[in-house]
Amino acid sequence: MKTLIIEMIEPKRLGELVTVSREFCEQPDMVAVGAGQIPGSFGKAYQVADTVAANLVSDLASLILKEGYEIVLLTASTLGSGIAAPLSVKLSAPVVSEVIGIKPDLVVERPLYGGKAVATYKLNKMPAILTIRRKYFEAADLQGFTDSSPLSIAEKKVALIAEKEEKTEGIPLEDAEVIVSGGRGIGAAENFTMLQDVADLLNGAVGASRGAVDEGWVQPTQQVGQTGKIVAPGVYFAIGISGASQHLAGIANAKCVVAINKDEEANIFKRARFGIVSDYKKIVPVLIETLKEEA
Amino acid sequence: MGRTPYWNIDLGILIDLFALPMIVIFFYGMYGHWKRIRQGKVRVNLDLSKSAGKIGPVYLYSLLTKGILGTKIYKKIYTGVAHGGLFWGMVVLLLGTILVFLNVLFGLPVFSGGFNHWFMAFALDFAGLAVFGGILFFLVRRLLFPPERLTEPKSRTGFSPIVLLLGVVILTGFVVEGGRIACNGIDNGSFMGNYLSMMFGKGDEWLTLHRYMWWIHGFLALGFLAYIPYSPLVHLLLVPVNAALADPMPGTKMGLIDFSSFEDEESEEMPVLGAAKLADFSRKRLLDYSTCLWCGRCHEVCPAAQTGKPLSPKGVIITLAECLQDGRVEDDSLIDSLTSEALFCCTTCAACMEACPALINQPKTIMKFRQNLVMERSEIPELMGKANSSLELRGHPFFGTGAGPNDWCKDLDVPLFEEGKTEYLLWIGCSVTYEERAQQIAGSMVKILSHAGTSFGILEEFRCTGDPAKQMGNEFQFAELAQQNIEDFSDLGIKKIITMCPHCYNSFTRHYPKLGGNYQVIPHSVFLKSLLKAGRLSLNRETNTICYHDPCYLGRRNAIYDEPRDVVNSMGKLVEMPRNRNESFCCGGGGGNYWAEEVGTRINQVRAEEALGTGADFIATSCPFCLLMLTDGAKKFTEDQKIFDIAELVALQLEER
Amino acid sequence: MHIVVLAKVVPDYEVPAGDFELTNSRAHSRYKRMMGLYDENAIESGVQLKEKYSASLTIVSYGIKADIQVLRKAVAMGGEKLSLVLGGSDDPNVIAANLKMAVEKLEDVDLILAGQQSADMDRGIVHGMLAEMLGFAFIPQVAKIEQEDGQWKVIQNTESGSSELKFGGKAVLSITSVPENVPRIPVVRSIFAAKKKPVVQLPEIEGDAMPVDELSVDIPKMESVCEFLPTEDDPAETAKILLGRLREERLI
Ligand SMILES: Cc1cc2nc3c(=O)[nH]c(=O)nc-3n(C[C@H](O)[C@H](O)[C@H](O)COP(=O)(O)OP(=O)(O)OC[C@H]3O[C@@H](n4cnc5c(N)ncnc54)[C@H](O)[C@@H]3O)c2cc1C
Ligand code: SF4
Ligand code: SF4
Repeated sequence: MKTLIIEMIEPKRLGELVTVSREFCEQPDMVAVGAGQIPGSFGKAYQVADTVAANLVSDLASLILKEGYEIVLLTASTLGSGIAAPLSVKLSAPVVSEVIGIKPDLVVERPLYGGKAVATYKLNKMPAILTIRRKYFEAADLQGFTDSSPLSIAEKKVALIAEKEEKTEGIPLEDAEVIVSGGRGIGAAENFTMLQDVADLLNGAVGASRGAVDEGWVQPTQQVGQTGKIVAPGVYFAIGISGASQHLAGIANAKCVVAINKDEEANIFKRARFGIVSDYKKIVPVLIETLKEEA
Repeated sequence: MGRTPYWNIDLGILIDLFALPMIVIFFYGMYGHWKRIRQGKVRVNLDLSKSAGKIGPVYLYSLLTKGILGTKIYKKIYTGVAHGGLFWGMVVLLLGTILVFLNVLFGLPVFSGGFNHWFMAFALDFAGLAVFGGILFFLVRRLLFPPERLTEPKSRTGFSPIVLLLGVVILTGFVVEGGRIACNGIDNGSFMGNYLSMMFGKGDEWLTLHRYMWWIHGFLALGFLAYIPYSPLVHLLLVPVNAALADPMPGTKMGLIDFSSFEDEESEEMPVLGAAKLADFSRKRLLDYSTCLWCGRCHEVCPAAQTGKPLSPKGVIITLAECLQDGRVEDDSLIDSLTSEALFCCTTCAACMEACPALINQPKTIMKFRQNLVMERSEIPELMGKANSSLELRGHPFFGTGAGPNDWCKDLDVPLFEEGKTEYLLWIGCSVTYEERAQQIAGSMVKILSHAGTSFGILEEFRCTGDPAKQMGNEFQFAELAQQNIEDFSDLGIKKIITMCPHCYNSFTRHYPKLGGNYQVIPHSVFLKSLLKAGRLSLNRETNTICYHDPCYLGRRNAIYDEPRDVVNSMGKLVEMPRNRNESFCCGGGGGNYWAEEVGTRINQVRAEEALGTGADFIATSCPFCLLMLTDGAKKFTEDQKIFDIAELVALQLEER
Repeated sequence: MHIVVLAKVVPDYEVPAGDFELTNSRAHSRYKRMMGLYDENAIESGVQLKEKYSASLTIVSYGIKADIQVLRKAVAMGGEKLSLVLGGSDDPNVIAANLKMAVEKLEDVDLILAGQQSADMDRGIVHGMLAEMLGFAFIPQVAKIEQEDGQWKVIQNTESGSSELKFGGKAVLSITSVPENVPRIPVVRSIFAAKKKPVVQLPEIEGDAMPVDELSVDIPKMESVCEFLPTEDDPAETAKILLGRLREERLI
């Protein structure tokens, strides 16, 4: 099937889309949004400088019709969601957003109800547009570079005035896919650096229980729970946290809780998917080593 | 030997004439107070409380005890005694002065015989001494060693001048007496006068001195009287009035708001919800503010003020008092000057009310402001806002909870309430449903009730009583929830309810009847006590020591102190914390503050430390919010789990039959 | 200036996973119905714009009659009227077509705000489709909106930070949640007033369904029992097992 990827030049995101595209074709084509060299090898590559989704839709639609693409892949990102829906109307094409699984015969999966359910859809018409949720597909290794031809934009509806890179101190807790949280059991402010290391290696954020905040080891903004942040990560490490109900209220929608606690009776194990009964000081340093080795 | 009035004084009757303008000034001052107070709204308490000894709006018993005898002052014994000396001394002196007038006008024979000896001479001297002692105590303390409660957030000015004036009146009185005796010879009984006269010796200069002093004393005394309404001493008149009008039922008595005028298409003017300025308050509240002594007893017991929060009940009341004094009744920047931050810190624990010697209802004032912030301005701290939205949307305030409505009983066999068959509704309540730690209270209650063979059942589906909304100031939300509950209860024919949460209990007994829901409501502690008394439960009594924490809504709000203690005593040995019963210190969770991140020290840690300090093996309470708050608070000090609900302890000690 | 906010009534989005059930492939009907959180953020943003630029504000929704009661809250927060297309479809194409119809019945709509995604289907595409159908520009993930020299200036959140965008024409903006648009609790006065505000109920028009079949909806099985990893012998082994298990489930 003739597949087109529309994405920024960002190797991780692009790699994930390439992985997905292999379900449909040998080698996809590509529209690169923004400036830079295009990593990886694509059949054909186009490049457009304008990064505002609203300005791209018309010309992308023409391109897709002209070239007869059957599958259009984007990530479920600000750019992807800005393009996908209007494009689907332009092309009278079906669109499925936030895809997390691809099955044979044009069957795709996406989460509903905040991830509490998963729906499967069959696409009945070509072209079809999919936006892919991040981190569900392993990013393909992108070898070499592909030369591109420019794609011109006919009409600029929206002007980009400024872009701000926010190198925030890590990822905000609410958005983090991995959270490494520590509680009163951590014992001292210094020991939180260990948790920070784990978080950095897993591209996650550091959280805390109120116990740890009360002790003054971490900022109140890092508190997770009823009176702190309500988070929904994929993995939540609860280290030295007893699992009081008010803390659990903040992680009701965490997919997988990993509890490390020296007390096997601790309430946190009732909520945990994986439990390690041990002094965290024995486990966490080793975990860091292992992650480093694997990286 | 008799005493001649106006001895040594020419035209003494002039002093009586001088009294007339002074009396006018006095009443003018009192009229000023009345004028200020009547700017409040007239609110007549319609549900005529059936309490005995109530005449019109006046609660006679309170008037006599708290108003006139000033029983509350003696909680602080030194201040109490000093105040007692000053007040009762003045009463006796006033009586003496009146008698002198009666003698002058009608020749009442007070200056002869035993009466002269014991009363006119001895008692009056003694009274003078008592007043003087009181004055000294107050002056020394206020000026030299003022306790924090007097100075925080601000001290009262105007107190020292009038007290000094009174001191001078007393001193000159003694000098006059000493001078008289120095010239006329010893007056048996007048020990002060006799003593002074001996110091003075004899001579004409004493005649002159006596004459001058007599006039000075007279003028100053009358001046003092006239000055009372303009000074802090006016409390001596206002406190009894305030006491007479204050409903002695414990708690803030928030009442209900009638929202029907909002429905009415026609009605032009919609009532202001809550209060933003003085004019929005009732006359009783304005009387509160005028009466406040600035004594700070409320400040001293307030969990918010004592843990570094921006709220002080004294601060609120005196701000209002000053505003009223300045005539700014229509100034609605008042609410902003108090700051919503401070107003939402109140846990509605009512410790301030309990401590207040002037019977002021501070939490009601604070709540009225909150109502205004929430219902007129949609200003509410973020977490409380979330809890409120959750109440609106889901019928419970526990946003983010990981528990479903039936999780608490998933491993239990609990009967549903069946109309006509079941006797008691076991009301679960929202904290017990949605907070994992509290769920165990319900588990224990189910076990106990089944064991005792009580006919009970639960509702299949339920919502919160609305209490958290009410406490956060969202009276509207409360009314909606309460009405729905009342409908559900009538559909099922529910008459008797057992509650595990004092907040539910308080709502059912205080507010639901006014909406048409009348039930017999029994807090679980009281029910447990009755089961024990009836011999339907027998417990293993162990040697454990158990400390009991009084929940504000069961204790201070509803005066239930003994039953839970009896239950505790039947399982182990009761030990008390320093602050117990009506002086209990809040857990910090009331007033919607369960959904708040505190500034300053955590209240629950302060209380948990106090409880742990008793060294008791267990700490019992009978409120799920207290349980949750103290459990958290104790974690700072110990890894052991020591805090339990009394039902949990009872369930543990149940003897198998 | 006329601003429209799209709002959708959905089943309680905070039902804990352990208590979540389906009937006919949709959330169980026992859950309370409420407005989605992002929709409330959008309404709050709309109300703020209305207050700032004295605009008029209409709430537009597609749903069932019983939703009116819930949508009154949107009106109480500051909307002037409510326009509801009565229908029960879950198809984004159909919903967008119906919203388009409702918007076209209103006069001179300048700006349409919508929550970033509905709290049931979590799709985040209906508003983008509507934009294209109306010929409006579509800008997702908007955090802040201002007017400047007769143009709109918006801040859009992106994965790496934010972009500042400017446009003159009409647009549909999807609103994300930021501290500035925490939904207000409507004051009592407006709750009562909202009961008297006009509600336009429109019959549904037929739209072309999207050519996609929904095959199934399932609740992913959540292991509710904790799996204790061995710790006795070798912590390194434990760490390896843990990471292995997490990768297996594509969690890291
Ligand atoms: C109204 C209210 C709101 C609240 N809101 C929140 C909230 O938003 N967020 C929140 O987190 N809490 C909240 N709490 C507090 C909550 O009740 C708990 O007190 C708190 O979460 C406990 O923190 P903790 O688990 O870190 O400490 P603890 O309960 O003291 O637990 C420490 C744990 O560490 C373990 N441990 C100790 N040493 C080690 C070691 N070397 N290795 C491994 N494990 C070890 C212990 O076994 C224990 O289980 C709230 C409480 C109340 C009353
Ligand atoms: S009710 Fe309690 S918290 Fe509120 S002001 Fe009075 S003492 Fe302080
Ligand atoms: S309110 Fe009562 S306790 Fe508080 S300062 Fe005034 S008189 Fe004293």
